Amino acid sequence: MTHRILQLFPELTNVNGDGENALALARRLEWAGADAEVVPLAEGDPAPGFSPAAVVLGSGVDSALERTRDALATLRGQLTGWLAADVPLLVVGTGVELLSRRVELPDGAIDGLGLVPGEATALPGRVAGDLVVDSAWGRLFGYENHGRGLTLDEGVTPLGGVVRGAGNGTGSDGIRLGSLFGTHLHGPVVARNPRFAMALVAAIAGDTIDAYAPGRADAVADAVNAATARRLDLS
Amino acid sequence: MTTRPPGIHWAPAVLVGRAARTAARLRKRGGGSAVPGLVVNKLSPGFLGSVLSHFPEGLVVVSGSSGKSTTTKMLVTVLEAHGKRIFTNPSTANISQGLTSALLERVSLTGRIDADMAVLEMDEGHGALLSPQFEARTVVLTNVMTDQIDRFHDSEKVLAYLRQIASRATDKLILNADDAMLMRLADAPPEVEESPQAPSRNHHADASDASDASTLQSLFDEAGPGPAQAPRGAGTPTVELFGVSEQVLAALPRGLGYAETTVARFDGGTMVTGVSGRSASIAFDGAIHEVGLPARGIHYAVDAAAALAAARSLLGDGFDAAVAVAAISAMPAVFGRGEVVTVQGKQVEFVLVQNPASFQLNVDELDEGLDQVLVAMGSDVADPSYFWPVDASRIGRARIVTGSKAQEMALQLIYQGVQVDEIEPDLAAALDRFLALPEPERGVKTIVFTADPMRRTRSHLGLAQ
Repeated sequence: MTHRILQLFPELTNVNGDGENALALARRLEWAGADAEVVPLAEGDPAPGFSPAAVVLGSGVDSALERTRDALATLRGQLTGWLAADVPLLVVGTGVELLSRRVELPDGAIDGLGLVPGEATALPGRVAGDLVVDSAWGRLFGYENHGRGLTLDEGVTPLGGVVRGAGNGTGSDGIRLGSLFGTHLHGPVVARNPRFAMALVAAIAGDTIDAYAPGRADAVADAVNAATARRLDLS
Repeated sequence: MTTRPPGIHWAPAVLVGRAARTAARLRKRGGGSAVPGLVVNKLSPGFLGSVLSHFPEGLVVVSGSSGKSTTTKMLVTVLEAHGKRIFTNPSTANISQGLTSALLERVSLTGRIDADMAVLEMDEGHGALLSPQFEARTVVLTNVMTDQIDRFHDSEKVLAYLRQIASRATDKLILNADDAMLMRLADAPPEVEESPQAPSRNHHADASDASDASTLQSLFDEAGPGPAQAPRGAGTPTVELFGVSEQVLAALPRGLGYAETTVARFDGGTMVTGVSGRSASIAFDGAIHEVGLPARGIHYAVDAAAALAAARSLLGDGFDAAVAVAAISAMPAVFGRGEVVTVQGKQVEFVLVQNPASFQLNVDELDEGLDQVLVAMGSDVADPSYFWPVDASRIGRARIVTGSKAQEMALQLIYQGVQVDEIEPDLAAALDRFLALPEPERGVKTIVFTADPMRRTRSHLGLAQ
């Protein structure tokens, strides 16, 4: 069986390389001996006729927000169904914003899909730099670059607590809701954070493969993160 | 124009600048090129604009995300082949301190440079900050690509910068017809924005933006205001277009790499109708011309079309197509852009990648199955995430991945199926080991690097900067 990783609208949501988490998941499945492929879905394509092994939705530029929202809205039924079926959904940056109820913009707000119980609100200023998050999978490292945070409804669990950077702007970052994992850690968060990646791969393939066997790439990721921790003076 | 004309009042600024240059050179041989500019910009904020605005045949500004160096060099070459005396800046001096330093090399005590025309490459952000100080006869804009997202955030902000530069054009605006974002400037002729001195303060980027452009802004603020917002030049500039034909675009599996590509191709203007290796067919004025390129790749053909479009408009009846084509065809390879050098008796090809689009285009131009490739990513790439959309799998095998971002680059290459033999963050050590490898079995030794390791590599190998 081939694990199909659905990459949503990469032409609109891969500005920071977030869409490449689909490649990273597929590669990790292959390294563990499973068959996997990335299936990109372009704006205007018909909804996929299969149930994906995982879904990756990345971040885009503000000028494409409404377009991306409209494209996502055509998949509302599928997205709801996949979440109900515990299909892992990795969502980054404006992807999370568009799944929330509302996105605040300088010239008014736009509605999101309302799958994430919260709203995207303006931060005091734009943030760009390292983002470090303590999560259930250990310390996650990456970059952030955004002007809005995420205000989650009371009782909703974030992905983790912010150690460095802004994240949601409230001391925490992202959201964890069933099989949905949302974050401001943009770019290749899966490649950069092997333990988080292992958990996602385990959620995709279960016990059919050894999702927790570290590979050479993981030693490289550990080296990147150790260097980042030294640079940021984190103990 | 509100800039002060050349005159003896600039003598103190010029003298201080020369003194700073001497001091900088004593301190660090061959270095310190930005320091004199920094000093003069601080003391006499109007100096740069004054010199730029007083060339007898005007100022040409070339900007955009990528291709500005090559386009500038090609345009200068064509204009010089037509007998024009041109003042231009090296590509390493395309921000305002560097520009002022470059001017100081040539300027008289009264703030004049003995040249007919200036053709200057400008960084997008710095060009926008400087824009209130100059008026350009012609502005050439190459493209908008996803570039330096930590600094520019997104392509909309880059477009806002370019709009401000374009607003200083008095005569001609030369635009890439295939770039949908730039074509917005043609649809709505650029007006001077509400706050032309603060491009970093549009809604995409607020005052907390820690980019070097805003640092520069504070420098101008401290130095007192530059000339008040200069009035718009006479009339709206005419738009001239360059680009590629339907057939050329259809043959590019990954397109042109612009943030947005126009849906329909244009007619007329200066159009690339074919490209093969280091030669391109470029159509203008009803004829197709065969032009030799300084390196392989569609982007060099587009740069040539941009330079030819600008030269045609600047020279008018004096433009000679044969002279122009011969001049471009005779150009040597641009530094680090498909340039082949001999180091320690070994041939090495340099491939500079400045942003994801140029990374992709250049990797796609590499020969398949190269067995000796070194990849270097340096501190100039603050956040390597946005390089991930580049499919670098064609590299196949990287003998060494190096530079201060070596591990992050290696991580991408490994996930993309490239065999990575060794990761060595120390560039000098990596270069020495790479050069010491026996001659490759296939192709030449190839070094793919970002801008910062390119400079360090040239310096380490004793090559001209």
